[in-house]
Amino acid sequence: MKQTALYKFLVVNLLLAACTPTSKERDPKVFRYNEASGISSLDPAFARVQSNIWAVGMLFNTLVELDSALQLKPGLAVRWDLSDDGLEYRFKLRSDVWFHRNPCFDAFPESRRLRASDVVFSLNRLKDPVLASPGIWIVRPIDSTWALGTDSVIVRLKEPFPPFLSTLANAYCGVVSQRAAELAGSEFGRQPVGSGPFAFKRWIPNEKMVLRRHPDYFETDAQGQSLPYLESVSIRFLPDRKSSFLALLQGQVDFISGLDPSYADELLDASGQLSARYRDPLVLLKAPYLNTEYLGFGLEALQGTPYANPEVRKAVGWSIDREALVRYLRRNVGIPARGGMLPNALEGSIPMGSGWQYDPEQAAEALRLAGYPGGVGLPPLVLHTGAEYLDIAEFVQSSAQRIGIPFEIEVMPSAALREGMANARFGFFRGSWIADYPESENYLALFYSPNYSPNGPNYTHFTDPSYDADYEALRGDLDRESRRARAQSMEARLLESAPVLPLWYDEVVRCTTPEWRGLTPDPLNRLDLRRVRWIRADVRKQEAPQTPSQSPRPSDSGR
Amino acid sequence: MWRYALKKLSEGVAIAFGLVTVVFFLFDVLPGDPARMMLGQREDSAQLEALRAKFGFDQPLWVRYTSYLNDLSPLSVYRVEGPRAWSADRQGGVVFFTSGNRVGVLKKPFLRFSYQQADRSVSSILASVFPNTALLALCSLVFAAIVGLGLGIVSALYPHTFLDRFLLFAGSVGMALPSFLSAILIAWIFGFLWHDWTGLPMSGNLRELDDYGEAWLFRPQNLILPAFTLGIRPLGVIAQLVRGNVLEVMGRDMVRTAHSKGLSPLRVLWAHALPNALTPVITAISGWFASMLAGAVFVETIFGWNGLGKEMVRALELLDLPVVMGAVLLIGLVFIVLQLCVDLLFAWLDPRIRDALRSG
Repeated sequence: MKQTALYKFLVVNLLLAACTPTSKERDPKVFRYNEASGISSLDPAFARVQSNIWAVGMLFNTLVELDSALQLKPGLAVRWDLSDDGLEYRFKLRSDVWFHRNPCFDAFPESRRLRASDVVFSLNRLKDPVLASPGIWIVRPIDSTWALGTDSVIVRLKEPFPPFLSTLANAYCGVVSQRAAELAGSEFGRQPVGSGPFAFKRWIPNEKMVLRRHPDYFETDAQGQSLPYLESVSIRFLPDRKSSFLALLQGQVDFISGLDPSYADELLDASGQLSARYRDPLVLLKAPYLNTEYLGFGLEALQGTPYANPEVRKAVGWSIDREALVRYLRRNVGIPARGGMLPNALEGSIPMGSGWQYDPEQAAEALRLAGYPGGVGLPPLVLHTGAEYLDIAEFVQSSAQRIGIPFEIEVMPSAALREGMANARFGFFRGSWIADYPESENYLALFYSPNYSPNGPNYTHFTDPSYDADYEALRGDLDRESRRARAQSMEARLLESAPVLPLWYDEVVRCTTPEWRGLTPDPLNRLDLRRVRWIRADVRKQEAPQTPSQSPRPSDSGR
Repeated sequence: MWRYALKKLSEGVAIAFGLVTVVFFLFDVLPGDPARMMLGQREDSAQLEALRAKFGFDQPLWVRYTSYLNDLSPLSVYRVEGPRAWSADRQGGVVFFTSGNRVGVLKKPFLRFSYQQADRSVSSILASVFPNTALLALCSLVFAAIVGLGLGIVSALYPHTFLDRFLLFAGSVGMALPSFLSAILIAWIFGFLWHDWTGLPMSGNLRELDDYGEAWLFRPQNLILPAFTLGIRPLGVIAQLVRGNVLEVMGRDMVRTAHSKGLSPLRVLWAHALPNALTPVITAISGWFASMLAGAVFVETIFGWNGLGKEMVRALELLDLPVVMGAVLLIGLVFIVLQLCVDLLFAWLDPRIRDALRSG
């Protein structure tokens, strides 16, 4: 009898729960998004991938920040000075910054205040070989760092490096509480204590993460209201991107980022705008992204083959109709690369139209001059790529084949592709470069000889002593105009040698619902929720519609 | 009987050892460098070397293999100092002898730490996701067994009719439909298109944290669609197995005798046909349970169910080998343990095996 009653109770409850529709009411104080690739650590020292960077960016502050126009602005440092020799930076810190509330401060409440020693500790720990942070490259230019009292930090470089301040805005440089980090040890990535606008609340790996508003956060808006406006950020970890898109349509998440092929055709029309059926419930936000998608030639692997000849490589480059590629395969998301390697948003880039272009006649002529008219005598060019770029690879294949170049595609897992690229095993591969910081130097480092992979990011193993000399001069050049001219001349040299064929400059794509304000994307694709807020429908009607942000060109940063 | 149990247990241990060996060497030949997957686009050789030394990738293959076996073994020998030395926090266990720079340790199998979530042990990762997958597999199997049994009996009672052919066809479709396709279709149809009517979500877990991180919410409705999807294939198999067995038993002399005694058809089915027809079905179901742990990969990924399959997909994408190896070994272990239990149960239940064992 008891058993029957228990069964009835269970069945009735199960059916009731199953038949209860999910609540359509939204809590305007909670912002929910899906992180398909998951988050592996909340320690700034491991802010390697975008998913980690976004979460770390909400939990920690950096000394300086880059605004949406990529201009430097104060972060934890209210001001900074650079010595005349370009070697010593002196940062004056804010005095009103508190770390998140945490039991580790109970015994020493004053240690909750952010001090210069925390900044020094945070930069020094990036160098720790036991920690093995992938962000160690940021502190390599640093000779020494020390605190001057509790509110000043001095960073001395080994040699002048103008982009240094921009690198300090990177998520790796998030300032951690020395006390919390030392107490947590290797667990710090799961118990982060920073001073950012949101504080860590709870994390169920692969399932959900919740960040809560930091009530003692130091920033306010123009009206003096404390930031952030949101009470909570709720992050889900649905690995399937199509499910993530459907969850957005159902109102289970408030925002998705990026364009996945599984829903691109459904979401966007041929012109790259929202399909008619989604124009009411959704808002599309686009902005230039400092990410160049390219095809690279492994020059060492190609030695002794006809592709060692730059003219043959250029013929491949001229055979690709980048406009058509972006229009048909990318739904107009991205800017066809009609310049060089540097995206148009960066200083030092060459003007659009003066770089790569679609010119099959010039391609055929280049082949003829190289001694391979109509591609006769050329061995197959094998493009190594991941499965997610197969359609792009096939487009390039048909382009090259049209001018007679035999072309093959080898699809491989991303781990194998990275391994092969790093060991210079491939003669031709697909790659992309996302700016670590918005400086031309960051892109041009891809062709600097001492950066030969696996010792650095020169995957093409491009060598040119005069290019190397220019690059070294560019790194230490404090004059903005001179840097711009030098970068342009280096770009021109790359066009001439064709170690890479840029395909398109990517764009940040975000999709949200019309109620949200403040989600404006920037060229570094950061997620800044400090000023994000929910606007009621009646208020919204009085406003102009939300427009995609335009990304201004960055001006000289840090000087 | 005890000798038989011991023999089966030693077979299980040998299979587990073989599995560890095969899995280790298979993952070793996988293309890609796990150290590189831990670094960003600014990787350099100094960072790579540091990581290789930290995780032992710089050691020869046989050293890495013996070291892995040592970690898995309950009785292990470790160095006291060095990069992979024993520590109570890391490998755990108790020291039972010390000799110079080495210690002998009695401990639980140590599955190491995740490469990508450096502060999480593989054991804790598996412990957090395995119960979810086991629950999903169990619910799917119960659903498949109940519905499959019913459909199989109906088919057998009305053989060669339209209903029988339709059920056969539907069962074949269910068996043939790959789970990644059925998962997408079911999530889209029931969780999205008909969501207002069904109230079923496309994704979620049985227990979910609220958006403020303060309370847990119990959501049994989140289990329905993934369990249904995972259960479709065994359902088809069980239905056809039941149909075939019931039809075969119904043709036996004992059933004819039962009919001639004047028993009602329902009584004949319930008392005589079903008990005989179900034995092979139960064997099949026990085998399916372990298969479903492995089969949950796509279903969990599509429905966002935080189980072993979803974790494996993540780990494979990032070349997080300790997690993948731990998950494969766990699934293998479940197979071995279930098989061992089935063998022993059969030996106990089946008089023919029991007598054979007694007679030596």
